[in-house]
Amino acid sequence: MDRIVIPGELLAERPIRSENTLVEGNMTYATVLSLFDEAKGVLIPLESVWYPKHGETVIGIIEETRLNSYNVDLNSSFKGMILSKFSETRFAQGDIVEAVVRDIDETKTVMLMHARSLYGGKIIDIKPSKIPRIIGRENTMLNQLMQGTMSSIKVGTNGRVWIKGGDASLATEAILRIQEEAHTAGLTERIKTMLESKNGNGNKV
Amino acid sequence: MEGGEKPELIVNGKRLDGRDFGELRSLKIEAEVLKNADGSAYVEWGNNKIIAAVYGPKEALPKHISDPDRAIIKCRYSMAPFSSLEEHGRTGPNRRATEISKVTKEVFENVILLDRFPGSEIDIFIEVLQSDGGTRAAGITAAAVALVNAGIPMSDVPYAVSAGKVGDKIILDLNKIEDNYSDADIPIAISPRTGNVLLLQMDGSLTKEEFKQAFNMAKEAGKTISELQKSALVDPYRKLAEKYKV
Repeated sequence: MDRIVIPGELLAERPIRSENTLVEGNMTYATVLSLFDEAKGVLIPLESVWYPKHGETVIGIIEETRLNSYNVDLNSSFKGMILSKFSETRFAQGDIVEAVVRDIDETKTVMLMHARSLYGGKIIDIKPSKIPRIIGRENTMLNQLMQGTMSSIKVGTNGRVWIKGGDASLATEAILRIQEEAHTAGLTERIKTMLESKNGNGNKV
Repeated sequence: MEGGEKPELIVNGKRLDGRDFGELRSLKIEAEVLKNADGSAYVEWGNNKIIAAVYGPKEALPKHISDPDRAIIKCRYSMAPFSSLEEHGRTGPNRRATEISKVTKEVFENVILLDRFPGSEIDIFIEVLQSDGGTRAAGITAAAVALVNAGIPMSDVPYAVSAGKVGDKIILDLNKIEDNYSDADIPIAISPRTGNVLLLQMDGSLTKEEFKQAFNMAKEAGKTISELQKSALVDPYRKLAEKYKV
């Protein structure tokens, strides 16, 4: 198993620059609680705060409509913004939107593009560090969840998951379980068993 | 020093609660105890019971307090009205709580990587449910665990402990009665990786040698505290990983 490290713990006596490491001289230290893969020198955070990156998909809620822009709540210290000139659809306050991070400006506002409304459904908040596991390698976990519950699910890297239709309560249960057990082995198999045994109509996953 | 008769604090070479001079009280730390907080921790240190919660980073409000270069920390230390039988048990931002909030904030300003979240704020809440001396040290120890639990990037996990002097003996981790009647009392917070001292306050007086002895005692005890902090954070993950080991 990979080593679990806490902030300030020595990772390697060579510089490894990544989002969650601190390099001092030739030493690399962890800055968050994470799993460290010694062989590859990769740090996988177990607890972390979301930091927006270009090209990521996020799920936000329209907070305010302005003359030529929308302010979007991203469940983060970063504020989102959609410029009307980049969006064909018009939004109203309270709308749930899925959008892609375009860039982050000097006032730490996240400019969003390709915004579109998500109608109905519900949002659950997940720790941002567990989002990669909910998506899975090449979307395996997400596809499995959608097949097993017949729900449509959208995942935002800012720690929000939108679920609509199908067996939404089963989907929620499964997602919360993935959050809980994100760092364990064989999770995809366990979620598969869970979905097959609970989805009522015996849907094969 | 409090009024009234000074009690005998060391009887037959042992302290009132039967501890040795350099012995810590029993310490139990648990992480992630509050569902709604971004990070939280619960500490039972002797008779102290303390909950720490962390929120953020979030947008700094009101806007004029925000710093465009770095995150700001807001810290609130507070004692529950039922936390103590005596005068410490007043709740709300009194003079003492304001001071402890300030020094705690300054401890964490030195370990949190504030420049990663400009313009935002990080809230730290420390609630003392039951107090028995050394609550500021216990509060810092708990808040450090809560911050890691919240995923806030830090350069280290600091710990804090108090040391003091009774008669000619240097003692570690004072409880309330020792705190009230001791000749000196020093809470110390240290960043274990670098050895930097993040908090050092002193009531009473010590000679240079006595101070060195007290400081080393605190540093020695810090190894135990750091170990417990780490296992509070890591053990829940490790247990789950063991359970589903392939």
